[in-house]
Amino acid sequence: MKTCLVTLLACASLAFSAAPARAHSEASALSAVSALPVASVVAGASVAVPAALAVSGAVLVVKAVEVSAHGTLLILESASDGARISIDIAGSGLAAGSLAVGTTVTVSVIGSGVVLSAAGEAIAFLPNALGKALLSNERLTY
Amino acid sequence: MKPTRNSVALACAVFLLAAGPAHAGRSCEAKRPSAQTIEKGMNLAERTWKELEASGNRVVILARAVQDLSKYGLRYSHIGFAYRQPAANGEHVWRVLHKLNHCGTAEAAIYRQGLGEFFLDDLWHYEAAYAVPSREVQEKLLAALLDERAVRLHHKPYSIVSYAWGRKYQQSNQWAIETLASAMSSTAVTRAQAQAWLQLHGYQPTTLRIGPLTRLGGRLGSANVAFDDHPSEKRFSDRIETVTADSVFAWLERSGLAGPKMAIGLR
Repeated sequence: MKTCLVTLLACASLAFSAAPARAHSEASALSAVSALPVASVVAGASVAVPAALAVSGAVLVVKAVEVSAHGTLLILESASDGARISIDIAGSGLAAGSLAVGTTVTVSVIGSGVVLSAAGEAIAFLPNALGKALLSNERLTY
Repeated sequence: MKPTRNSVALACAVFLLAAGPAHAGRSCEAKRPSAQTIEKGMNLAERTWKELEASGNRVVILARAVQDLSKYGLRYSHIGFAYRQPAANGEHVWRVLHKLNHCGTAEAAIYRQGLGEFFLDDLWHYEAAYAVPSREVQEKLLAALLDERAVRLHHKPYSIVSYAWGRKYQQSNQWAIETLASAMSSTAVTRAQAQAWLQLHGYQPTTLRIGPLTRLGGRLGSANVAFDDHPSEKRFSDRIETVTADSVFAWLERSGLAGPKMAIGLR
């Protein structure tokens, strides 16, 4: 459940009614979700999408986590064949920095890229060409 | 400020009971989204991109549904302009120009985002809707979105229920139609002139029925909720007139500025 403030439109539900089952974002709020860490496979991989990231439901295990000023480097190992891949996650801490070695990471392949998650929470999104075209964030006024 | 009057305390208690935890504004505290939220949001962005690409249009009014507004007879909560932006390589990308409130504060800004960001939220309905403006409107609107008119009528002070014909605050959907007005008319240079154009062309805001206790609770609990821009005679008869996505879609079709609203869902 989000902890966002119940807005007027939400609270304008009659004041005496029961609390809503779900507390959602405000209609026009800058989404915290849009801060999703975008990641890439570290150069050196022989194919654009390693086999371990090509199948939804594939399971990987965190072997190492290196946090730097640039972002987080995750080394993952395929639970099925032991293949290792390195994922470079841009930005700071939220996504992968708190992951522990041994954590299980699940792969989900969608049309615009690959979602990596741990215990149901997204830790990184690896966009393909379409995904990159769908993502852009520019603030025009201050 | 600590409430000292019984009436205020009662109102706050009622508000808290009704609405759950209240805070001074939406927290900007980062949290991990669920994998499902990302998958569904990006899939909706992809479906929208494909439909817009196939349509041959250059700019549409695009809506999302972040909140459950069904008790007001509303389905969509927020609109922006989705348009083809020329890219350096001679191709194009689809971008959304819209106004966003910052973390529950009383301010907002204009953003140009990808379709992904537009739908990367914990949506109430994973459904988009869009209206296709007439060719003439598309031409004028696209020209405006690509020059300084895109932000000219932006007004930073924000209230989520700002008065549709007021100038003290400006909510996101209000910015959108005022910007549309300025694109359509060379004389709509100020917000007042844009609103005059909207009235002349028959825009009618949604009237929300919001009683005094809820108004008080909303105002006390939220930095981005204010009612002091509404005319007293309307406010004190519980009539809050504001710009909603659904009222914009209805007006666009009624006025002939755009075709009927079309929905895009996840299969």
